[in-house]
Amino acid sequence: MDIAAERIERLHELARAAATEDDHDRARYYVRLARRVAERNRLALPRKFRRFTCDRCDAYLRPGRNARVRLQDGHVVITCDCGAHARYPYGNDDGNDEASEREDDTP
Amino acid sequence: MALTPETLPRHELNGLPVRIVESDDDSRVGLEGRVVIETTNTLSIEIRENGDSRVVMVPKSGSTFEFAITDDAADAEKASGTASKLADTQPAATDDSSAAADRAGGDAAGCRGDDPSRDRRHAAGEGVAYVTVDGSRLLSRPARRTETSGDSPWQ
Repeated sequence: MDIAAERIERLHELARAAATEDDHDRARYYVRLARRVAERNRLALPRKFRRFTCDRCDAYLRPGRNARVRLQDGHVVITCDCGAHARYPYGNDDGNDEASEREDDTP
Repeated sequence: MALTPETLPRHELNGLPVRIVESDDDSRVGLEGRVVIETTNTLSIEIRENGDSRVVMVPKSGSTFEFAITDDAADAEKASGTASKLADTQPAATDDSSAAADRAGGDAAGCRGDDPSRDRRHAAGEGVAYVTVDGSRLLSRPARRTETSGDSPWQ
């Protein structure tokens, strides 16, 4: 792992720690810096980072505290306190399932 | 590429425990805390004493910083705790790994900056290595410090 990927990992931890202390502005600063590092070094952000940050306001999301998580048919909707929604699928491993397929795939 | 004495000037400074060993302004010498915000020319250091915390903004140029770095295993353990715990615990770790990192540091340091000789490092107990860096080596935009392009003097 190169330095940039490691920096993103560290910033993720820092953002989480700051959000846990309800210091959301500082968490935002770490999230923005991590995004910028990823952009400069042409790295994809880790999936955990993408799922737990708000695309619109860069807040670090803590479900139950500053984000609402609802399960819909085949996808998760996570709503930040700023009002932005993010949707991602759940179900089988390849990530692009439909709910009806699930019975066939489970071993 | 872990956080080692020679990669430190290119690595993330936020969150690292730091102490100011030398400064143009005598009142700053000896300040000790964690880096919370970095800008091109300054480091903001959060100092916790007797339960309350304050944030001091220190210019990078004109100061010499001593960062305390630990090996990765200890670091992951530290990061999983809460931030308040981060500030006042030095996690115990294996002693030999940081000493090895220290030796590996050697004089290969100075990937950027004009005076690598200012870089001193020494290991102390409990798996913590202290890296002394002149602030002028850290002058860079935080997101760009990691990049290696533009280091060569050749056009």
